[in-house]
Amino acid sequence: MSDIKYLETHEWYLMKDDEITVGISDFAQNELGDIVYVTLPEVGQEFEKGAAVVEVEATKTVADAYAPMDCTITAVNSQLETEPETINNDPCGDGWMFKAKVSTVDDSGMSYQEYETFVS
Amino acid sequence: MDKKTTQLHKYHLSQEAKFIDFGDWSMPFSYEGTLKEHDIVRTSSGFFDVSHMGRLEIQYSEIKKISKLICSEIIDIPSNKALYSIFTNADGNALDDVIFWKFDDKIILIPNASNLEKIKSHLVAHNVEFIDRSPDTVLIAVQGPDTIELIQDRFEIPDKFSTNFTESFLYARTGYTGEDGVEIMANNEDAESLLTFLTEKGVKPCGLGSRDTLRLEASLPLYGFELTEDITPVEASLNWTITNKNEYLGSNRINDQLSGESHKVLKKFTINSRKIARTETVGIAGDTKGLVTSGNFSPVLNKSIGFILFENMPSHDLIEFDIRGNLVEGNIVNKRFLS
Repeated sequence: MSDIKYLETHEWYLMKDDEITVGISDFAQNELGDIVYVTLPEVGQEFEKGAAVVEVEATKTVADAYAPMDCTITAVNSQLETEPETINNDPCGDGWMFKAKVSTVDDSGMSYQEYETFVS
Repeated sequence: MDKKTTQLHKYHLSQEAKFIDFGDWSMPFSYEGTLKEHDIVRTSSGFFDVSHMGRLEIQYSEIKKISKLICSEIIDIPSNKALYSIFTNADGNALDDVIFWKFDDKIILIPNASNLEKIKSHLVAHNVEFIDRSPDTVLIAVQGPDTIELIQDRFEIPDKFSTNFTESFLYARTGYTGEDGVEIMANNEDAESLLTFLTEKGVKPCGLGSRDTLRLEASLPLYGFELTEDITPVEASLNWTITNKNEYLGSNRINDQLSGESHKVLKKFTINSRKIARTETVGIAGDTKGLVTSGNFSPVLNKSIGFILFENMPSHDLIEFDIRGNLVEGNIVNKRFLS
C-alpha cells in the first residue's frame, strides 16, 4: 500500500518503472455509492495529465477518473464491464481501472497519510 | 442551517447509515448499499423511515372542502380506502402529490416533506381545518413481497389500498416501491417498539437511495422532478388520478387538456447503452425536444431508465440524448417498466 499515491481528484496510482496502475480511492467509491456502469478507454489511447479516462456511473451520480500524468493505455480491467461493483468492494485492489505507460513522469501524488488528511 | 432529522435519527446512527441532504432534512441514504437494499425490497422485506413526510389529521366533515382542491374523487370511495391524488392550483398544475387515508371519523393526509408547509397554507387558505401530527408521530413504510406474512401476527392486514388501525397505529396497504406492503403511522412513544418488532422479524432498514431506484423502476413520479408547479396531472401522464367529476381548483384547464388541447407530455424511456440520462439531460424525439426529469439504473431490468418531459407529444419513439457530449439512443416506453 505504501507505494500507492493519491490525487486531489480521488484517483490512486501505483508507479512501477514507467508504468502506472490507476483506480479510484476508497473515499471516492464510498461517495459515489453503488457503481453500475464503467466505460473504460482502449489500449493504445493517449491521455494528457488531467484528462478524463474512465467514466463511472453510480446510482447517486456520474464521475470521471482522470489521468494522473501524460500516458498511453497498456491494459484495462475488463472485469469492471461486467462486475462494476468490484470497484466498491476492492477499489485499490481488484477494482483497478487501467494500466498506462507514462510519457512524462509526474510523481507528485499524495501519500496515504496526506490523502487521509485531505479528505477528512 | 442545521438539517432536520427524524425522530428515528438515533436508530439510523446506530446502524451506521450514510446520510444525504434531502430538502431541509438529513435522511438515511443507505445502510448496506442502494443495490442491496433495492434487492431486499424486491425479494423479501425492507423498511424506510419516511417521517420527513407530513401527517395531517383532518376531521371527516372537511371532506367536501378537500374535494374542491384535488383531481380525484374522494367523497364517494369507501371510508376505509387509501387514495393517491394531486392538489392542483388554479392553473391545474400540481401543488403536491399526496396520499389520503380515509377512516370513519377522520382522514390522514400525507404530503411530501418539501411541500408540507405549502399544503398547510393551502388548506388554511381554503378553510380546511387540520391538526399537524407530523411532530408527534413517525411514518414507516414496510415494503416487499414477504412483508404481509412477516407482520400479520401484529397487524390485521387490510385489502390493497385500504386502511386499518390498532390502538397504537394507523396504517394502510400502500407504498412507493411497486411492491406489496404497508405504511404505518405511530406515535413517537411507540416508534421504538415498532422498529424492534420489524427488525426481529428480519425486515431490513433501507434508505432513500433505494427508495428512489425502486420508485423509478415502479414507474412512479417524484415531486420536484416529474411533478412540479409547472405541470398538470394530464401532462404528467397521471390521467388515472383524474376521477373528480365535480369542479375543483384548476379543473377547467385539466378538462381542456383532456379534450385535446396541446400540452406537455411525460414519457418513460430505456437506454440500451451503458449510460444514465440524469435530470436535465436533453433528449430529442423526431422534432420534439424533452428534458429528463429522473434517470437511473434499473437493477431488475439491468438497464438505464428514466422519465422525460417533452414539449408536446413526440411523433417518434426513438430518443437521441446528449449525455455529457455523447449522442446516446433511447426508446420511449409506453408500458410500465416492470410488468
